[in-house]
Amino acid sequence: MMICLVLFLGGCSPFMESHLTENNLIEEIAPVIFWSVNKGEEGKLKVSTLVPPLTDEKKRLNTLEVDLLKQGEKGFNLTYYREVKTGQLRMMLINEEVAKDGLLPVITTLLVDTDVSQRLYLVIVKGDFEEYMSKQIEKQENLDYFIYRMLKHYEDDKGEITVINLHQFKNYLYSPFLDPLLPVFKIEEDKFMYEGTAFFNDDKFVANVNGIEDNIVQLLATNNYLDLLPLPEQSVTLGHVQANVDTKLNDLSSISIKVKLNGSIDEYRGDKDIHDYSTIKEINKEAKVYLEKKTKEVLKQFQEWKVDPLHFGTLTLKPFEKKMDHEEWMKHWEDMEIDVEYELEFEPLTNIDTNDGDHLTH
Amino acid sequence: MFKKKGNDGNKSIENQPLKNNGTTITSDALKRHLANMDDAEFIERTTDKEQKIMFVYIRTLIDHERFNESIIQPLMHHSCDLIYECITTSKVSEINTMEEALSQLLQGSILINDPIRNQWWAVLLQNPLARGIETSETETILYGSKDSFSEVLEQNITMIRRRLPIAELKTEKFTVGSLSKSTVVLMYIDGLTNPEFIAIAREKIKQINYDMFLDSSQVATFMEEHHNSVFPQFQQTDRPDVCAYSLGLGKITILVGNTPFALNAPVTFFHLFQSPEDYINRWIVASFLRSLRYISFLLSLILIPMYVALTTHHYQMIPLQLLFVLLESRGKLPFTPFWESFLILGVMEIIKEASLRMPTKSSQTLGVIGGIVIGQAAVQAGFASQVLIVLMGISAIASFLVPNYLMTKANTLIQLMILILSSLLGIFGIVLGLIALLIHLNSLTSLKQPYLAPLTPFYWKDWMDLFIRGPLVNMKSRPEHLRPLKKWRYSQRR
Repeated sequence: MMICLVLFLGGCSPFMESHLTENNLIEEIAPVIFWSVNKGEEGKLKVSTLVPPLTDEKKRLNTLEVDLLKQGEKGFNLTYYREVKTGQLRMMLINEEVAKDGLLPVITTLLVDTDVSQRLYLVIVKGDFEEYMSKQIEKQENLDYFIYRMLKHYEDDKGEITVINLHQFKNYLYSPFLDPLLPVFKIEEDKFMYEGTAFFNDDKFVANVNGIEDNIVQLLATNNYLDLLPLPEQSVTLGHVQANVDTKLNDLSSISIKVKLNGSIDEYRGDKDIHDYSTIKEINKEAKVYLEKKTKEVLKQFQEWKVDPLHFGTLTLKPFEKKMDHEEWMKHWEDMEIDVEYELEFEPLTNIDTNDGDHLTH
Repeated sequence: MFKKKGNDGNKSIENQPLKNNGTTITSDALKRHLANMDDAEFIERTTDKEQKIMFVYIRTLIDHERFNESIIQPLMHHSCDLIYECITTSKVSEINTMEEALSQLLQGSILINDPIRNQWWAVLLQNPLARGIETSETETILYGSKDSFSEVLEQNITMIRRRLPIAELKTEKFTVGSLSKSTVVLMYIDGLTNPEFIAIAREKIKQINYDMFLDSSQVATFMEEHHNSVFPQFQQTDRPDVCAYSLGLGKITILVGNTPFALNAPVTFFHLFQSPEDYINRWIVASFLRSLRYISFLLSLILIPMYVALTTHHYQMIPLQLLFVLLESRGKLPFTPFWESFLILGVMEIIKEASLRMPTKSSQTLGVIGGIVIGQAAVQAGFASQVLIVLMGISAIASFLVPNYLMTKANTLIQLMILILSSLLGIFGIVLGLIALLIHLNSLTSLKQPYLAPLTPFYWKDWMDLFIRGPLVNMKSRPEHLRPLKKWRYSQRR
């Protein structure tokens, strides 16, 4: 009796339409793990997804041109015998062209959908993902799952690529001093490869960095750690690089950034004798100069793009003081002088004599 | 309209008490009472002194050898004046009424008539027919004592008395059952067990009014307060060490004649998860095993309902890889997850029940056929998914971890209830089912004591021996929820 009362009062009766008791018999639904959004013709959206197979069925890529994202979901249901469900959605692959127009509509749609987990990974794609997927599906049946596992792996095991989920993106988007960033993947023939980190002005994709610049962003902002940091100009690869970043805002006109890097020299392919302590000192000095230069360049670019992905704006926050708004901060940030200083401390490749009393620090 | 009309004539006969008249004993009266009893014998012997003595007994109930040795021979060649003096056995009593005579006869006594004094004597010479002391089959343990109760009440009392050789261990005897005349013995430690428990038990036993009691569980039925619950309110055990331990904690023990199962009360829900081995193992190991039992109990309740809930309502919660496997395997099946589970659960219960009723060797074969062949075949024939078979196996094994077998049986019914709820309401249904279960458990009592103690009401000191089994040296006091008269378990302050 009491149970019945609780059920009906709670509106959880199986006879009423209720979110709690939605009929999701798994053999009748098609839980998709990614949506891909591209620009279609005449301002439309091109949405695609891979439908997981039932027995004796091949995995298939469904693509529809629609005006609204949810229209795509509905469209799939009308053309496919199983209902497409987004409860297991793990990735949202957004084409850079769509991202340039602004991600707010996409993000809002995803955020209000209670089925969609906030741990959904957002990825910017350069190139035609649908075409790539339809080609690759023959060769790699579980490609969508592998991409998801890759993102999941690097989310837990930081140090290679930038991984941002919906929850983090939303927080960046709605915080005044945190400009969002996302990973960018590029499609080259039959390869789907990580390119770098994309930056956003509000919800609009502005530009992305790659290579050493991306590594610097990861060291300074996202991960503070890199498994490997190759510096080809110095013919050296640094490993297990741990960054300790200390930023100081000097009266809104200049900012000084001190970065302390710890790690080891993992590889050297230069002409000098790596067993000589003076060579190590020299490599350290060169790396320091190079990193300082590159960091300054990256930060200058950020100033030009009017983005602050490293969240320097938070330095303006003081207790009991009115918060500066985003526009005001951007005005200051654009003209700010930047001073970067690196301090490198690396274990040499092999045991060497350091008896001259000098420590490996610059 | 459909009510059965009572037959007044028959009813009056049924309700009549069996003939028990208090008339004087005569051989004719005895013969009348024992008419048509093939095993009732009347023997008349003449002694060396030309004295005619009559023996009346029921052949199937007495020990013939001892009858010859301790009664016939001494009486035939006696030199004493009184018959009573010649009998060389200790259990001789004088009887005066017919009622007494019949009662003694049916207990295995031999009635002897002294013609000089016209006096009847009863000599108890019961047939010692009984099986030996064997190991417990229902509560097996690896270490610890191996003996278990048998059908002989006296022997069972002996086994407990040997473990508690103290004068405070009291045994009160009652007879219940108008037909079975079963002996019920209430045991407790005077000055330790709460007198309230003893009084309640005594009162309840006295109030029992029924015809037959073939097992202690039937006695328990008449003593418990909640007849419609699946949970046992008396701990039924055939282990004397469990009874002795329970008595030592401040509980009462009820032994019933002709059954090897004793009843311990008041019992709590958590007592059903305790095994005698808990107090033999190292405390860390014992605690681990005990927690494992609780987890297994919960697993056996919700594993299958969880499968149904996830595959019917909450596909979002299934790990991705498993979801793909389930999608593929469930795609072939004709049944919904609920009916699939219901069917397999039904088959599983049939196999379990069948293997219990079969002889040991056959039941092993049955287990193999049932478990492996049917399980495998069910998957191949498209009746059930592999995932369900795996879960069903885990669930069935987990349910056997509970030491109390009655509890294991109750498990299936609770599981079924939660299964139905989960198919309708998903995880919400499971939670609702568990809440209902908790409410039910909270409302139960055993000998009018709360069933969920020491959880509700809360006795924090008793938690030392609840979900874990603390070190014995630290378990200084007896459980507070049993309100024993002697709190401390040590005799001298340490």
